[in-house]
Amino acid sequence: MSKKLVSIIRRERILRLILLLGPPLIFLTIFFLLPFVICFLYSFDIFGTRTFRGWFYYYMKVFQPLYFKIFLRTLGIAVFTTFACLVLGYPVAYCIALKTGRFKSLLITLVVLPYWVSFLLRTYALKNILARRGIINMLLMGLGIISEPLPLLYNMLAVIIGMIYNYLPFTILPLYASIEKLDKKLLDAARVLGANPLKTFIYITIPLTKPGIIAATILTFVPALGEFIVPALLGGPGTYFYGNIIWVAFIKMRNWCLGSAISIIFIVVTLTLIMLYSKYVGEEMTI
Amino acid sequence: MKVGDLALKVYTAFIFMFLFAPIIVMIVFSFNNSRFLGAWKGFTLKWYYELFRDRELWRCLYNSIWVASLATGIGVVFAIPTAYVMSRYYFKGKTTIDSILYIPIVIPEIAEGLTLLLLYVWARIPRGGLTVMLGHAVWFPVIYIVIRARITGIPKVYEEAARVLGANEIQTFFRVILPLIAPGIISGGLLMFTWSFDDFIKAYFTTGPGFMTLPLKVWSMAARGGVTPELNALTTMWLIISSSLAIVYLKIQKK
Repeated sequence: MSKKLVSIIRRERILRLILLLGPPLIFLTIFFLLPFVICFLYSFDIFGTRTFRGWFYYYMKVFQPLYFKIFLRTLGIAVFTTFACLVLGYPVAYCIALKTGRFKSLLITLVVLPYWVSFLLRTYALKNILARRGIINMLLMGLGIISEPLPLLYNMLAVIIGMIYNYLPFTILPLYASIEKLDKKLLDAARVLGANPLKTFIYITIPLTKPGIIAATILTFVPALGEFIVPALLGGPGTYFYGNIIWVAFIKMRNWCLGSAISIIFIVVTLTLIMLYSKYVGEEMTI
Repeated sequence: MKVGDLALKVYTAFIFMFLFAPIIVMIVFSFNNSRFLGAWKGFTLKWYYELFRDRELWRCLYNSIWVASLATGIGVVFAIPTAYVMSRYYFKGKTTIDSILYIPIVIPEIAEGLTLLLLYVWARIPRGGLTVMLGHAVWFPVIYIVIRARITGIPKVYEEAARVLGANEIQTFFRVILPLIAPGIISGGLLMFTWSFDDFIKAYFTTGPGFMTLPLKVWSMAARGGVTPELNALTTMWLIISSSLAIVYLKIQKK
């Protein structure tokens, strides 16, 4: 009797499980997983949309120097942006969390304030500053320092400024959260025991705020790798990211097979990097 | 030590300037009586007037609002049961499902948009507002993560007490769990609404002829090159509206 009861409850539980989890998972399968399968098939030109040139034709194209160079550039800029944001953002997070007293919640709210404006408009705002007739050029020319406007826009420098500008708050926020939780007594203890501020910072503050640093790295690196808007608005063809190349292959060249192959490579690389990082970091965290 | 503190504060002030200067410039020049930056030609409200007169802009705003609202609605409906099951049930393949749920958040958006376009083309689904909305609904794991964190924080004793007192699982869910995760639903939903409202790339790939969301409209204005004062006015309006919404939200959260 009781065995039967248990089995009914079991069955009901499974039924509930299917009812609750079914719809979201079916939706995700149709609108998220299935598209990737179709993209995968396109990358081998299985639908025969173009003249067939061999199964791996488009993948071979992706590994040509032209595309590979852009791939490496994207990776390089994403790493650089992440690193620069950490180095620039850490002191800011530290200062807000520990040195501003009762103003700290107001200040951290201000850091994320630009986020309440659309990403596009924020990037466009930089255009106002860097343009030929932008603020910097007008100011410098008005002061008589330069006679011709400097080419500040549509180059790599503009893209890097745009990346740091857009991603710095992403970095500061998790850093702030973890520095704020820091037990200040430990800092005092280190000082009392004779450590100078630099030593305290390296041996106490940094290791204790590691979770924040890790979170900041992921939050900055992942979207930076897939960035499209910043190079499209502030850069030129010479500064395109991998995301822009997908765009060009798809929209401009209308070569869907090539675009699919690039996307597949891009997705595999992104997921692999995230997995490696979280695995490595996961091991670090347990120590 | 004191000198170090001062240097740190000066540096922080400098970074704040870097973060705010572009937006402040936009706000100031949204009142400038000239198409060009750099020179102040007197105060005007004409860019705001142009903005309010632009009927297409209003239509885009309307489109963005219904797309984001519907996507968020679907997202909440999907996220609540998912979060509940994932934190309270134990079954085979749970870890796999958990990692699958995280993928839509970390994958480059352009790859998502493009693959979705391929699906729509392959299945011959006509593209428009609905296809954009469905694409955004794929981000429901954003809400899921927030809600799941909240459910995990609820002590199991609460549910056990409800069960001992005679409530079944469904009653326990609606009477105990749901009220406790309500703040998570609100903040998760708000997050998803912002994602959808601010999305440009996915919308670009999944939209059809004639359907534009606000970011798509901004893109078409910004990519034209040169400087458009209407966009300065739009940024200012956007900042005012979203800041007031955020203040209201913070007030609600505090209560």
